[in-house]
Amino acid sequence: MSILNVFNSPTTFALATCVMADRRRINGPPGGTRPAIYATSLPSIKDADRARRQRQPSELRKIFLKTGLIPSASGSSYLEFEPSASLAAARANPKSLIPPSSALKLACTVHGPKPLPRSVAFSPNIVLTTHVKYAPFAARKRKGHIRDASERDLGVHLETALRGAIIAERWPKSGLDITITIIEAEDDRWWGDAPDSHDASWGMMNVLAGCINAASAAIADAHIDCLDLVSGGVAALVTDNDGGAPQLMLDTDPAEHRSIVSACVVGYMPARDEITALWLKGGTSKAALDEQDGRSGHEALVDGAVDAARGAHMVLGEAVKESMERALGQTT
Amino acid sequence: MAATIPSLAIPGQRLGPASAYSAGPGTHIQQSMIYASIAGPVVVDPAQPKTQLKSTIRVSRVPTSKPQTQTDSPAGAASTLPKPKPRYNTLPAVDSIVLARVTRVQKRQVAVSILVVLDESTTAQSIISPSSSSDNDNIASILTTAANPENHSNTDELRFQALIRKEDVRAVEKDRVVLDEMFRVGDIVRGSVISLGDQSFYYLTTARNDLGVVMARSEAGNMMFPVSWKEMRDPVTEVGEQRKVARPF
Amino acid sequence: MAAQQKASSASQTPHLSPAELSYLYTSLSLPQNPIRPDGRSPTQFRPLTAEPDILPGTNGSARIGFADGTQAVVGVKAEVEKTVLSADTLDASNLSQQQGDFAAQEGRDGREGAGSAAVAGHGSWVQVSIEIPGFRDDDALPVFLSEMMRESLVGSVAGGNDSSDEMAGGLKGRLVINKRWHWRLYIDSQGEEDPFFDDDWAVAEHLYPRGTTNSTVKLSSSVPQVRPPITLLVISVGENTIFDPSREEIAVADAVLAISVARDGGDKNLKLLSIRTIDPPSRLTQPAVPNSENVNALGATAPTEDVAVLNPATGEEEVPGVWRPRRGGVKRSVIAQMVKTVLKKGGVGEEVLEGLEGVEVE
Repeated sequence: MSILNVFNSPTTFALATCVMADRRRINGPPGGTRPAIYATSLPSIKDADRARRQRQPSELRKIFLKTGLIPSASGSSYLEFEPSASLAAARANPKSLIPPSSALKLACTVHGPKPLPRSVAFSPNIVLTTHVKYAPFAARKRKGHIRDASERDLGVHLETALRGAIIAERWPKSGLDITITIIEAEDDRWWGDAPDSHDASWGMMNVLAGCINAASAAIADAHIDCLDLVSGGVAALVTDNDGGAPQLMLDTDPAEHRSIVSACVVGYMPARDEITALWLKGGTSKAALDEQDGRSGHEALVDGAVDAARGAHMVLGEAVKESMERALGQTT
Repeated sequence: MAATIPSLAIPGQRLGPASAYSAGPGTHIQQSMIYASIAGPVVVDPAQPKTQLKSTIRVSRVPTSKPQTQTDSPAGAASTLPKPKPRYNTLPAVDSIVLARVTRVQKRQVAVSILVVLDESTTAQSIISPSSSSDNDNIASILTTAANPENHSNTDELRFQALIRKEDVRAVEKDRVVLDEMFRVGDIVRGSVISLGDQSFYYLTTARNDLGVVMARSEAGNMMFPVSWKEMRDPVTEVGEQRKVARPF
Repeated sequence: MAAQQKASSASQTPHLSPAELSYLYTSLSLPQNPIRPDGRSPTQFRPLTAEPDILPGTNGSARIGFADGTQAVVGVKAEVEKTVLSADTLDASNLSQQQGDFAAQEGRDGREGAGSAAVAGHGSWVQVSIEIPGFRDDDALPVFLSEMMRESLVGSVAGGNDSSDEMAGGLKGRLVINKRWHWRLYIDSQGEEDPFFDDDWAVAEHLYPRGTTNSTVKLSSSVPQVRPPITLLVISVGENTIFDPSREEIAVADAVLAISVARDGGDKNLKLLSIRTIDPPSRLTQPAVPNSENVNALGATAPTEDVAVLNPATGEEEVPGVWRPRRGGVKRSVIAQMVKTVLKKGGVGEEVLEGLEGVEVE
């Protein structure tokens, strides 16, 4: 019943508005749909089935990162997060048709340095353009082909993070295009939770951290001068128990937590101990940390995110070194 | 001290104190220390004897590891060659030699798109055997694809554009230059950058014996060979065409 | 130059020569005691005029004007919209009705029964759009700004749900009419010139009082403490933290932060809602050439001693008086300092909020 309802409205809408619509066939709904899952066919979904974090609070997910996979680009990288333990368990022994969590997968290409378009005025620095695009199938809800506000927003955050790391004056009069395609996004919440439980798009912050890492590797692959491999990290204050004090967790997968109080993502350069981009969201001042911890909530969050970024930086360094050794092996 | 310098560097890796070394291409200075800014092999160019300069640390952009650095070459050889200016990027700079394809011939100027910027070291040795020491791909393969008219894709906007003005074509009889008799669309030209120009164009000159058209096809579509400094000939139809020809090596 | 400004997402940068930039930077980074071009103290705001309810056709509106002619007009429209529940929600709510235990857990923060979007509202029900002359509406800057505003508006939910029941669900909760209908808020802002912080202010100021009349389900006239969030633009230059920067001051900033704060429920403390870094335009400026390296000046001027000095704030070697574009990021301590200045008791955030409360809204 309810599913029929969902299908119905977009179809009629499309017929009414699109004059050029194909009238001979019955078109599918233009909006995104999910395969129909009937409530009765679902095995009982209990709170016990919810994905739970099985890592230590300061334990990061493993990252797969490889550069130089796209030959036509001057630099490229592919990044993947290790699927959480709950996802692996659910694949082996499915209790529900819906996977409990998702793991970030994204590809980054760097084109350039290339000439600026004619319309752009002379620039003594390299002009950075960032495009972040979700594949239509990346998230649980389908994304359109035109970039929406959240994707543009991610692009601006990414640009801020990268611009601080690039030595722009070494590449006058040229442009650098950084394009990121998100193949699989992070969830904003556990799918079984109603959308209101924590409405903010926490998954975007993980995506941003992944974007920063991938872009940083791709820029190094393209041999663009940087101050450091800028790396992204996420930390969040989460409450998993009712009434419990919020806890600081690094590299949070939002699907694994009942409620995220606030979260923070940084773009961080370990060599200089500097932050190029910071995005913090959610009320933090109330969050009570350990008594002996003198830091306020937001400071602890930033420090946590920096720790996560340091972890990612080690992966980044290894990946860049690996691709360099590969290049050396080819030429000698 | 050299032992502390890593052989391979990643961006942000500390290489050495700025008091003992000077920072070359691929590095930057932060808090009086030299850091790598690109990934690649670290090269230490020793200071020339008798000067008070410090040794230079640089990170090579080229994936070939250590060869043909001044470290190995005797000091005499290094002093005979004029030391090339340090290059911080792979962009065309003033005095770089470039290969470009002609895209448009007008009355007063010729528009070209730059295919490859040749390294100074490469030009000093030989163009014919470009040991792949450039960042760019194999030069020969670039030339063959670009000179092929079927291959004229629309990638020109991805390349740096340049102009050869009428007065920069040759050194003598500048006022008698007719551009139609110097270049045709599709020719591959070797030129030298004289100016970074404005927002959109670099400026090239071919006013030297070794600069000018290096590859061209005749109207019949055959690859021509040079017969004089202003003529090339089609080997099949035996018809000559006028060009500003670069001296073949 | 106009084209380049569009290419850079940073903001509208004034045309300052490297010498001007350097002079401005030096005076703003004087230790302890920065000298601002208009003589303000580091935490002093520009005089501001605010006028609510200027457009009769809207559900709420305001005009903000700075003394330098910068203006913004904001209108808020509310429309009734049918609540479309996603398949996710339907499944979950159906289930939760079947399974009592699940439902009870869902409604743990005082809400009852089907804890779904129909009760708590949805962040996408608030739409913010910002229009700035010279920018297309899909340029990065307007999108970034409107996301920033929406984030802090919607984000004020977290404090609301346990301090006062009336504000459960925060702003988005108040947009709920019943299970099937909700209000959709359109906040449109027309900036004239510098849109940065004033808009927020304007929107926030009248949205809340008007919002009260909007949400018919949850009338919350008895919540005088609940105030809208504000977003402050803070820059750091050298070791100084400077508030309400003018465009010239932003142009030389080492770091630019947008910090959103709100009153935390009943008590007077301030609550941090969000922080975002904004790309400082100083990274895109043109560098100056010191005399010692300037070929044109050789021989023309007496040889000067250009000694590079270590700038403690950036760690770069710089010749005094010679502008170099900023590069790198900010230290954590600088960020902490900036946030602290906003949040501390009697700090800037409180001062601004008190100023806002002085604006009369019927």
